Amino acid sequence: MDKLTDLHLDALSEVFNIGAGRAAASLSEIVAEEVKLSVPSIEFRKCAELNAKVLSLDQSQLGVVKQKFSGAFTADASLLFTEESALEIMRDMMGSQISIEELAEFEQEAMCELGNIILNACLSAMADMLEIELESSLPSYTVSNSDDYIQSIIGGEDQTYIMILHIDLEIERRQVNGRLIFLFSSSSLSTLRLQIDTFLQKI
Amino acid sequence: MTSIPQHPNLLIVDDSRVSRMMIRAFVLDKHPDWQITEAVSGDEAIQMVDQQTFNFCTMDINMPGTLGIAAAEQILEKFPTIRIAIFSANIQECLRSRAAELGAHFVAKPVTEKSVGQAITFFKGERG
Amino acid sequence: MMPHSVAPQGYDWAQLFNALNTGIILVDSKGHVLLWNDWMSRHSGVNSEQILNHHLSDAFSETLPKSFIAAINRALSTRLPVVLSNALHKFPLPLFSTAGSGERISQSIVLSPLKQAQGELICLIQVTDSSTSIKREKMLRDHSELHKKDASTDPLTGLYNRRFFDAQYAIQMMQAQQQHTTLSLIMLDVDYFKNYNDHYGHIAGDSAIIAVANCIRSKLQRSSDLAARYGGEEFVIMLPNSTPAVAQSIAENIRKAVTDLKIAHINSMIASHITVSLGVSSCLPGVKVDTVTFLKNTDLALYAAKQKGRNQVQYLPL
Repeated sequence: MDKLTDLHLDALSEVFNIGAGRAAASLSEIVAEEVKLSVPSIEFRKCAELNAKVLSLDQSQLGVVKQKFSGAFTADASLLFTEESALEIMRDMMGSQISIEELAEFEQEAMCELGNIILNACLSAMADMLEIELESSLPSYTVSNSDDYIQSIIGGEDQTYIMILHIDLEIERRQVNGRLIFLFSSSSLSTLRLQIDTFLQKI
Repeated sequence: MTSIPQHPNLLIVDDSRVSRMMIRAFVLDKHPDWQITEAVSGDEAIQMVDQQTFNFCTMDINMPGTLGIAAAEQILEKFPTIRIAIFSANIQECLRSRAAELGAHFVAKPVTEKSVGQAITFFKGERG
Repeated sequence: MMPHSVAPQGYDWAQLFNALNTGIILVDSKGHVLLWNDWMSRHSGVNSEQILNHHLSDAFSETLPKSFIAAINRALSTRLPVVLSNALHKFPLPLFSTAGSGERISQSIVLSPLKQAQGELICLIQVTDSSTSIKREKMLRDHSELHKKDASTDPLTGLYNRRFFDAQYAIQMMQAQQQHTTLSLIMLDVDYFKNYNDHYGHIAGDSAIIAVANCIRSKLQRSSDLAARYGGEEFVIMLPNSTPAVAQSIAENIRKAVTDLKIAHINSMIASHITVSLGVSSCLPGVKVDTVTFLKNTDLALYAAKQKGRNQVQYLPL
């Protein structure tokens, strides 16, 4: 594939930072605290290259929110946190008398909403900037072993490329980091590249 | 505020090259005579204001190193007459009010003709 | 993408729609109600004739929460589906149970923007009652239920164990700081317990520990107060939302209750029966301190009680 140039990556990075900013604003309305969300880095890899080091999340249990996007292009999008981070975020967001044991009961629903807010914000920022239309499925949340997760991506049929973004989420000064993962087929990635080119030409 | 100079000097501060390109393009489209300098970080911007005279500045918030809002604060301490437009997608109330406290203007990202237009209106001293 | 299901012919869709055990609302891009099913009518007290073509917010006498309005606006502007978890939004819409109590229903909501044939946008709102799962949470959270869980209680005394205390303490600390309330701690241990054990034997020692634990339990007033066995003869008590005065008073009540037991302790150096020393400390609103420091300070208070002659309560401010 023709790799995405630095300029393409820069445009995407800007898109995701705008998405992150909007998501932070939405989240802060919900938790009534200051929320900061940023996307400090972005990289593209072939799915086959994915391993624990590339993902660089130290714990083995991962909480994953997934949404499937379609329309101008198709992509499987996921928001990943270590299970430990997910529970921390839940505590920060819910600030309630719930003990750690019971927190796990709410994790499913609350993480779905968190993932939905962040993924939607990022994708709608992309749709706005590139002037394209995108649709999405509803979010789903699963907890899995990171090795299993990596295997499921490497073994996936249609997808060839993976875009990994580091995200930093800060709620009331406690910072947690996670990953935004987008899986593209070869043709989807070409479509995306084309759309970024169209956008860049307008500048 | 006094009227703007003949060829104002604008400092664009953003770590995204695409953002800088876009702001530059939209500004020059309306004001081809304005001078434009770019900085890729808050830290670089703080250094540059010591070296050149700037009238206006656009400042991104999420950048590596010194955060945009802190950089804006430092710049305004040294040069209180510089008009700073803070560009951010994060429109939380606490950020907006911090910007207002500094005397900076808050513009919501993404960078579009409209949002850059709002910044320009602020620079020219027209309460748009 | 899976193909959309084809609607089979010959069904009374209105009947099915109204038989659903879920709230269904359809609004247009401006938020005006297009459809409102029977479930919604039953639980809102407003029927569809009254609300059709009016704005959703007019259906309810209460103002809708900002977060719900923000969510609908987001769904309509981004055209992407939005979920409102019950965890983060307990009661997004003013809906009430029809079964006797008339209490508010906890809800989970999904907003699905749908593009119609002519390109116009409508939004499907699905409201699910999460009450049953919430009641299950409440049951689990009830302390008497929790006592049955082995993982969190001390088998000898029936108080919570250290592990459970540590977890709850962290949460209460954070809550107290968020809500600007005072969190108080009491640490206590049995005076000259080793001497007691050595002289009267371990079985008697265990009985004494149980007796002290019972005194503690009897003096705690609120369900949020939490007592745990922290070590062999050491106990810790967490009192959310309690002033230093209240905490010290409870500590003194415990001290007196233990001494009133009059359990003979021939080898105690300060009394002829079992006594306890207690350290009390409080974390006041605005005081930014971590859990370790606060606990250490309470331990220091206990140490002071020992130094000053035992069988007493000492308070050490943070």
